[in-house]
Amino acid sequence: MSAAPSTPASPAALAKKFLFAGFAGLGLTVIGLFVDAHGAALSYVVGISYWTAIAIGMLMLVMIHHIFDAGWSTVIRRQFEHGLSAFKWLFILFIPLVVSAWVKPGFIWHWMDTAQGLHGGHGTIGDDPLYLKKAGFLNVQMFTGMTVTFFLGWMGLSALLRRNSFTQDKDGDVNWTYKNRQTAAWGIPFTALALTFAAIYWMKSLEYHWFSTMYGVWFFANCMRAAMAMGVVITWWLYHRGDYKGIFNTNQLHCLVALAFAFVVFWAYVTFSQYFLIWNANVPEETFWYNIREHGDWLWVGMFLLFGHFFVPFLLWLSYRRKSTLGPALKISLWIAVVILVDLCYNVMPALRDSHEQPLPFLSLNLLWVLSSVVGVGGICVWSYLRSFGSGQAKLIPIRDPRIVESLTHHDATAPEPAPARPHWI
Amino acid sequence: MSKNYGIIAAFDTVPEVFHACEQVRDAGYSRWDTITSFPIHGLDAAMGMRRSKVPHFSLVGGITGFCTGMSFIWWAGAYEYPLIVGGKPYFSPMFAFPVSYELTILFTAFATIFGMFFLNKLPMHYHPVLKAPQFVRASDDRFYIVIESADPKFNAAETRALLQRAGGKDIVEIEE
Repeated sequence: MSAAPSTPASPAALAKKFLFAGFAGLGLTVIGLFVDAHGAALSYVVGISYWTAIAIGMLMLVMIHHIFDAGWSTVIRRQFEHGLSAFKWLFILFIPLVVSAWVKPGFIWHWMDTAQGLHGGHGTIGDDPLYLKKAGFLNVQMFTGMTVTFFLGWMGLSALLRRNSFTQDKDGDVNWTYKNRQTAAWGIPFTALALTFAAIYWMKSLEYHWFSTMYGVWFFANCMRAAMAMGVVITWWLYHRGDYKGIFNTNQLHCLVALAFAFVVFWAYVTFSQYFLIWNANVPEETFWYNIREHGDWLWVGMFLLFGHFFVPFLLWLSYRRKSTLGPALKISLWIAVVILVDLCYNVMPALRDSHEQPLPFLSLNLLWVLSSVVGVGGICVWSYLRSFGSGQAKLIPIRDPRIVESLTHHDATAPEPAPARPHWI
Repeated sequence: MSKNYGIIAAFDTVPEVFHACEQVRDAGYSRWDTITSFPIHGLDAAMGMRRSKVPHFSLVGGITGFCTGMSFIWWAGAYEYPLIVGGKPYFSPMFAFPVSYELTILFTAFATIFGMFFLNKLPMHYHPVLKAPQFVRASDDRFYIVIESADPKFNAAETRALLQRAGGKDIVEIEE
């Protein structure tokens, strides 16, 4: 080991800064509610969905690690476990949206107010056959019950996975590993269903006429990409703090980024499938969703996603060097993290319509509320991560995990062996 | 007497052959190889090997496959025999994409496997190292380093001395 873990900036001091940024962001969003209530509310849906996506992705990565009894990822798993501490705060931050559904139904999700008129004088939502067929699923009781169940489920899973893993640091009992594997066995299908329905309720139902079987898969792809982008950011941070020096090497980084690279292709595959099937079938109930997204500057947002979310990271990450070198991997990951936010905006914000039922433009004041919501919710989430990281309840890596030696000495068959912490890969 | 192929030396343990590789690498040889019966972690670096060139073949194959799919569907549907199907345009990258994507994968796979064959000069049914004494042990409990006479630094006496210093045993010159 080249350097003893030093603490240039203590996690507690950093956590305070993020907590302050979080409150500032949330405060600005509240101001936004007075400026443009509808725009700010939908921006908040984007902000909270973004950070929930990251947390869901981390939860899935931890559970996938356990269910496959994976080796190489043991060294990075601990950081995702710290990230899982954010779920309870995300739940609290989501409560205002649930309250709004009861206090002011139809304000964010129009279908919650069946008396609301349809555009063009075609009666009310309550008369709309496309709503009535979905009414058993799309109602406020189901929305509330489902959302609460999802968050409680994710919080429960996170608590179990964290406790088992952290306790193993102390007693070294291999049974904690088996327990986590069992948790993952039911946790993965639960989370898969929960994230699908969450995406449908929170985002897709904003335009309840629409049909897409790919929506949950699309959201899952973004969850995984966002979590792995954060994983690279955390790796970079820990490496530069000195903690990961001599621990995290080219081989583990290459594995992490190669998985992120696979999900670049996966995202493209499902997003293209969604577009292609709707384009090919050409059914008005489905095509309207893309038609309004070709209106105004949304066409360019769509093009930006096609190139920025797929082609750019795909072509850059074809190169081995950019997968196994921390600097380029970090830059591409940050880029992906930004583009995921644009992707969520693309899915949520066109639900804001003008009097002609055309979407309000992407480049507008709403971007400020999106940004304030992302910083607001994000500040709380990063604070939660740092608090868990700095609390001392767990070591830097799962030091007594039965797979830790395998992870630390992990050798990637395609990689030339680097000396540990060789300067060229920074 | 036929042409000299090179010099081969045997080693009994992994650390011996590993450190011998480092010495041969540092002596500046470029045309040589190590023969082991199983993969040794880090041997690539000890031999000073660069990354494989196979990915370049794969990339060319992938691009060729994608372009083949796109242009073939354009040629068939919009140029050679224009026909309206399902109210769709004569050509659109949308419906051409699945086929182009499949051809990208297929051509990448072909380029990768044939690129590997080409770089490794496969198939190769005969190799001079098979003449080394007791060479059958290369697949059992012995490791070999062979330095080719085609190497610009090759010198029968000096190369032999290097392998001796590195701990090589049963050092012999082998014929082509």
